[in-house]
Amino acid sequence: MNTSEFIVRRILLLIPVMIGVTVFTFAIAQIIPADPAAILCGERCGLVDPVTGKTMLELQRERLGLDEPVIEQFRLYLINLAEGDWGESTTYNRPTSDVVRDAAPVTLEMALFALLMAYPIGITLGILSAVWQDQVFDHISRFLAIAFVSLPIFWLAMMLQLVFGTGTDVGGICDPIFGTEGGCFPIYGRHDAALTYPDRSSSLCDTAITGIACYPSWYPSGGTGFHLVDSWFVTDEALDNINPEYASNYKLFDDTLVHLILPSFTLGIASAGSLLRYMRASLLEVMNEDYVRTARAKGLSESRVIIVHACRNALVPILTILGFSIGGAIGGAVLTESIFAFYGMGNVAVDAIINLDYSVLMGVTLITAIIFLMSNLIVDILYGVVDPRVRLE
Amino acid sequence: MSWEDGVEERGESLRRIRESAAQARYDFKRGWKIYRRSLLAVIGLLMVISISVVSIFADDLAVEHPGRNLQDTRDVWHIDYEPRKAAPFSDECDTRYQKVSLTTLRRWDANGTNALSPTRVADNNSFYEDILVVTEFIELQDRYGVTLGNDLVTLETSNKSYFWISEELMENNSLTQIKLIYKFENDAMHHWWLPDGYDVCIFGTNDEGQDLFSKILYGSRVSLTIGFTVATLTVIIGTIIGSISGYFGGRTDEVIMRITDIFFAVPGLILALAFVAALQAIDNFTLPLWFAFLLPLSGLCIYFRSTIFDSIMPGETSFPEANLPLRIIVVVSLVVLLALGGPWKDFFELADSSGWRIFASLIGLMIVGGIFILDRRLMDNISLDGVGSRTLNSLDWRNPYRYLTFRTLVIFIASIALFTWSGDGDNEVTVIDNFDRLWKIQIALVFTGWPGYARLIRGQVLYVKEMTFVEAARSVGAPSGRIMFRHILPNAWAPLLVAFTLDIGGTILSASGLSFIGLGAEPGAAEWGKLVSDGRAHFPQDYWLVLFPGLAIAYTTLGFNLLGDGLRDVVDPKNRR
Repeated sequence: MNTSEFIVRRILLLIPVMIGVTVFTFAIAQIIPADPAAILCGERCGLVDPVTGKTMLELQRERLGLDEPVIEQFRLYLINLAEGDWGESTTYNRPTSDVVRDAAPVTLEMALFALLMAYPIGITLGILSAVWQDQVFDHISRFLAIAFVSLPIFWLAMMLQLVFGTGTDVGGICDPIFGTEGGCFPIYGRHDAALTYPDRSSSLCDTAITGIACYPSWYPSGGTGFHLVDSWFVTDEALDNINPEYASNYKLFDDTLVHLILPSFTLGIASAGSLLRYMRASLLEVMNEDYVRTARAKGLSESRVIIVHACRNALVPILTILGFSIGGAIGGAVLTESIFAFYGMGNVAVDAIINLDYSVLMGVTLITAIIFLMSNLIVDILYGVVDPRVRLE
Repeated sequence: MSWEDGVEERGESLRRIRESAAQARYDFKRGWKIYRRSLLAVIGLLMVISISVVSIFADDLAVEHPGRNLQDTRDVWHIDYEPRKAAPFSDECDTRYQKVSLTTLRRWDANGTNALSPTRVADNNSFYEDILVVTEFIELQDRYGVTLGNDLVTLETSNKSYFWISEELMENNSLTQIKLIYKFENDAMHHWWLPDGYDVCIFGTNDEGQDLFSKILYGSRVSLTIGFTVATLTVIIGTIIGSISGYFGGRTDEVIMRITDIFFAVPGLILALAFVAALQAIDNFTLPLWFAFLLPLSGLCIYFRSTIFDSIMPGETSFPEANLPLRIIVVVSLVVLLALGGPWKDFFELADSSGWRIFASLIGLMIVGGIFILDRRLMDNISLDGVGSRTLNSLDWRNPYRYLTFRTLVIFIASIALFTWSGDGDNEVTVIDNFDRLWKIQIALVFTGWPGYARLIRGQVLYVKEMTFVEAARSVGAPSGRIMFRHILPNAWAPLLVAFTLDIGGTILSASGLSFIGLGAEPGAAEWGKLVSDGRAHFPQDYWLVLFPGLAIAYTTLGFNLLGDGLRDVVDPKNRR
């Protein structure tokens, strides 16, 4: 099987799963004990429309297609999804696709940054603990691997806030040790409270109001939502209009980065733990292979054998975990987001459940599934490219 | 045949039992030898044992504190006195803030009041208050917390539990309520395990004045229950589905694996969130009678078939093919009956929404279909000739396989018991009587957890299926069910045990996470995740409200994870001789 055939096959395999996910989200929305029509018309439900002679409730139900049979509703749902109409959020009074569009990059940025932090930690510790197998360091790092997975993520987040943040009578080791004011890292929000970040949600970038284009014309209007990337492309015009303290691309980037560190570290620690174990196991397996023995027999130095010959091969199976850890990080984001006040998909999902906003819940479930499947697809393809044996299956 | 004739068979079956017991003993010894090699694993075992002991003896270990109502068996703490927080090791546990209504005293023409504990509930649901013995009178305040002179109130010198209120206070009509702050003698707090004279709350108290240490002790019960229930249910469901998928392979396998793919496509926590939301309106979990009997009965049929079939007529594999058109007619009419004229209107009686009814009917169809798929191979060979004699034979003591049928008897008795002890005989079987929020997160976690086990077991079954002994069993004509239960599963349990242990820890984490979001335990409940989320309101200042419950979660999860890791070494084939 050649590469393109392999890729096409992988993509085709996704289609039934995607259909299954839509069936699933639809079923969940059917079970949720809320009538979206009643929520939308609110107090005016009982009013009678003079033209048609129907109540507002009936009109809303008709508009949303709720009076149709279930199968017909599902058909409509699929058609609307394909056309980009993900329904109307009853909580935010905005189209669900907009809500999800704003929330997804927040979570994704946090999750990707978390993995960026977790991978070096996990892989380094894993390699060291395989090299020093059954020595003290190995035992400590194996314990750490299990401990990292066992920590409740919401608790860890708050403890990190306590230790690295400020504004408390207790904890806060940064101020006394490093002489900082306001702790090492900010503990709430995506940006400093004094900063209006030029993105889709701020009125700064609404050209109709301010007449300023925040981003160059070739860039997506309002930015991609990934602030670590966006901050480098904000135009000078827009920079002039925000708080002078942050009026440079670097300052914006720095602000985003500093706010991301604690949430991402919290999120990444569990992935780092499992990575450590996998890396250790994978490297130990590779060390017994013939080619490692050959490399040693050639008289290469031990470090060269490990880094060049063993690690390169041990890293290949680690790739598969990448896809899963993105899913895990997005799931964990539900908890970290509420603590660090990030308005990503986790917070949106929790709000949706509390307010029984079924269309947002469907949207979030669907978009997480899409992200997860896509990342797994990319990982699969990469794996196929790196290790041609996989394609033979 | 007479009793004497069976001596040899009885001896044979006893010998088998003894042999397997000896084997089990040997396996355990060997496993322990490997297990204790790892210090971490031993520590993990100790952690798990300690937390289990704590949860069992929570009643005895918990400090009796005015804020905790020991009479209330549901472990609910009530709030009817002045809330206050105390830091860990602060000397505040024996301090009582008693509100006294002067208006009431004036009405009764009284000149003093007893030092009373908060209202408690007795066994017969009546309310009562304890009279406390005051050791030190601290302060007198008005209702706004303004300090009044301590000499306005005097403590009775003879019994130390009566406050005389001075004329000056009683005559000041602008005062309606006063607050007495005093320390009292609290012998109940001095437990054998506390050092002498140790009367501080070691984990502090929360804003309702409840001793955090006691709450955490009781929280261990909730967490362990959730962990075990969810892990057990997921193992059972996952094993059944996974072994079906692995053993039958082909299209069945394909369908089941695509379903697990869907579950894997959505992150577990978000899936659980969505499912909890869907369960919100349901407040008791009942099944119609016929349905409750359907499940154990179908299991019984399948089980009886494979066992009896194999033990009474070994080697007899050539049965007449069942009538194919007849089968199609049966299936089609069943589906039509269920879909059109079926009792879907009150199916489950769970929620009054059309969507739920349709979902429920889909589940019903899936279950029936699953049974059909499962039993298809068996049905191909079904023959009703001689069922009666075979049943009698299987109950015969002389039958060397009769200890297998003992288990079928247990299943049958269990299904009867389920009916007898559940509910009002109103055509319904209550499965979960009090379907509260904790149950909902448990169901949601089971719902999201089974695909992992299904894949694990499927892989194991695929691996074991190819081994020689399975082929041997198949070649002598053993039926599918018997091969699965007697040959494949016993050889695939090892990774299952490890996953089960690890899953208990994982479940405790997820459940506390859901509680933290506000979907799990009821407000005020002694659940660790809920305690953390309650403490969040006072977070940076009163850090102990978050620190200790979280440590409890981490401790328990770590214990189970270390235990699972140790077990992994034990069952690792590399460690077998």
